[in-house]
Amino acid sequence: MNSVQTPPRLTSADAQESGAAVSVELSGVRKCYDEFVAVADLSLSIRPGGIYGLLGPNGAGKTSTIRMIMGIIVPDSGRISVFGEPLARAHMDQFGYLPEERGLYRKMKVQDHLLFLGQLKGLSAAEAATRLRSWCERFELTAWLSKKVEELSKGMQQKVQFIGAVLHDPKLIIMDEPFTGLDPANAVVLKDVLIEMAKSGKTILLSTHRMDQVERLCQSICLINHGHAVLEGDLGEIKARYGLRNVQIKYDGDARFLQEKRLVQSFNDYGNYVEVHLAPGADAQELLKLASANARLDKFEVMEPSLEEIFIDVVGKSNA
Amino acid sequence: MRNTWLIFKREYLERVRTRSFLVLTLLAPGIMTVLMVLPAKFATMGQGKQHVVIVTSTPQFGKTVRQQLMSAPVADDDEDNPGSADGARQKPEDQYVIEVDASPTEAERSVLRDKVSAHAIDGYLWLTDDALASRKVTWYSREIMGFQERSWLGEAVSRVIQQQQLSSKGITAAQADQMLQPIKVQPVRIERGREAKGSGGARFLEIVVMVMLIYVAVLLYGISVMRSVLEEKTSRIIEVLLSSASSTELMAGKLLGVGAVGLTQILVWIIMAGVVALPSLATQPNFSELQLSPGVMAAFALFFLLGYLLYSTMYATIGAITTTEQEGQQLQFLIVIPLVLSVFMLMPVIRTPDSAAVVWMSLIPFFAPILMYARIVVQTPPLWQILLSLALLIGTVAGLVVLCARIYRIGVLIYGKRATLPEIVKWLKYAKA
Repeated sequence: MNSVQTPPRLTSADAQESGAAVSVELSGVRKCYDEFVAVADLSLSIRPGGIYGLLGPNGAGKTSTIRMIMGIIVPDSGRISVFGEPLARAHMDQFGYLPEERGLYRKMKVQDHLLFLGQLKGLSAAEAATRLRSWCERFELTAWLSKKVEELSKGMQQKVQFIGAVLHDPKLIIMDEPFTGLDPANAVVLKDVLIEMAKSGKTILLSTHRMDQVERLCQSICLINHGHAVLEGDLGEIKARYGLRNVQIKYDGDARFLQEKRLVQSFNDYGNYVEVHLAPGADAQELLKLASANARLDKFEVMEPSLEEIFIDVVGKSNA
Repeated sequence: MRNTWLIFKREYLERVRTRSFLVLTLLAPGIMTVLMVLPAKFATMGQGKQHVVIVTSTPQFGKTVRQQLMSAPVADDDEDNPGSADGARQKPEDQYVIEVDASPTEAERSVLRDKVSAHAIDGYLWLTDDALASRKVTWYSREIMGFQERSWLGEAVSRVIQQQQLSSKGITAAQADQMLQPIKVQPVRIERGREAKGSGGARFLEIVVMVMLIYVAVLLYGISVMRSVLEEKTSRIIEVLLSSASSTELMAGKLLGVGAVGLTQILVWIIMAGVVALPSLATQPNFSELQLSPGVMAAFALFFLLGYLLYSTMYATIGAITTTEQEGQQLQFLIVIPLVLSVFMLMPVIRTPDSAAVVWMSLIPFFAPILMYARIVVQTPPLWQILLSLALLIGTVAGLVVLCARIYRIGVLIYGKRATLPEIVKWLKYAKA
């Protein structure tokens, strides 16, 4: 069990200025491929500024959802709006997209490739060239600018692809598993960049199945399963809703309080250290009073449930 | 528009900058020339001088035949055939050594037969009085004789006999020569009120060369388009591209970019051919017959481009609906069939450019790039037919581009669906555990 700190909510002036109260809103979106329902009646709303985590097991419909927001595929029914307007081609230039699988022309030189991507998003050649230099410096790619993409390692290609996605300074950045393939040092650089962009008012949609990243980076999440949103909203609120059901107690003395069935559902006793799972509806404060009455307490900590626990719990239930 | 231009520019520059483009552009004409010239060179060089024996009852007759043979070149009398300009117009003394043998006995015959087998001589002509009386002489050799050589021998022998018969009736050799001079028919076509000389041999060559250019370029660059669609699909860059440009913009930029590469290559080849071949071609009598008028050149450029667009759009569609190059090549026959049919139709077009079948075929968009162009070269068809075929062709190309751009998108979906189904199964197992 690890104690987790929820990241502070990022409220930035830029985000408020961008006008709309939501960056992206999906309501009742549905997408089927033949018989198979990829996304069924999905609704979610992403507030501007901050990092939003799109979670779910493999095949839950994350990629289909992202593709619909990117306008690559069209939903069968439902509405998608961005920045308060119905999704249209005109919005695409304000989107940055990093697909899960690398999508680069292998034979192109890094510099030419980034210029091409930047220009496609509406930048002038000169503007794109200046921007890509400063990005490449940050990601230590300057020496590779005139190399072909195929000469780069997977991690470096990933960085090139990331730069391509953000070169035009988009308002909405959609990243599908952005950390896979990066070594720890580069993952830190990327994390810093993402947090920096979120603070400056950009909306970042992060799709991943790595819970630890989501817990540390995201302010809000949507957990998708079978194409439905099973959990959606502020991460802190979700955790609170799921309750603080685990208590770690370091004690010395009488362990009778563990037998109180009204409060304790189960426990794992290590002698003078115990992990307690609270009974439904039980209040941790009551247990504290009871325990301190009979034993000396060195530590009494109410544990936040980890996202992973919530995930397994929710996905398990929705599959049952 | 801007996106199409950017994609066009990328396709063009990335291709033209490759080493393989440079090598192919510079070396292909050389390789083609070698392939065309070598067989002809081999045909004449390989054999050296042919050693021929004329077996005759009267030595004087044999000598006259030899003289006649030596003065008449082995060639078909179609002077308009430029193909015969090089190989067959060599002088007989460079090609043959002719010997006269005046002992037409069975023993001599078997000796000669052995000599032929032993490669001492290449063949002998059995020209005895008996054979002449039956008006049928026999040529013995290891190889089957060519049609041109057979008529060369036959004509020489008949000429000598005719001259002998005429002179026995008191006609001088000069008079006989004049009487025996064959009459040649010179074909003159009337085109747009003017006379055009020649039977159209050079024109035939022109059609074949230009049609081959269209045919080869369509196959070459069509496959190139198919590969590049597949590459974008499998590398998934298509997702990034579709988030920046519409599928129609992508398709249009790609087709035009690859097409421009093809035009660049052909332009380089035409310039190279012009520099190398024009000085020698200009001295050929058939040269003036070539229909290299601005109108025909414009028709070529127009039908080449439209033909390329039509077929490469089909190739792009195949690239979009398949996932590997092998799958793509299996479907390629769908494209090759109309192309091959057009080439088969070339002969009817050249012979009867006005027949109903030819007119209708040349209006069908899939055949028009080759057949309508060929008709324009052979005999300018009525303007309405040209315009109608152009309109149909342009309409078909536009329709195909829109259709293909849609399939392009569905292609991405097919990929996505295939990728997710096994993942769902995996996920179900994971959730239950």
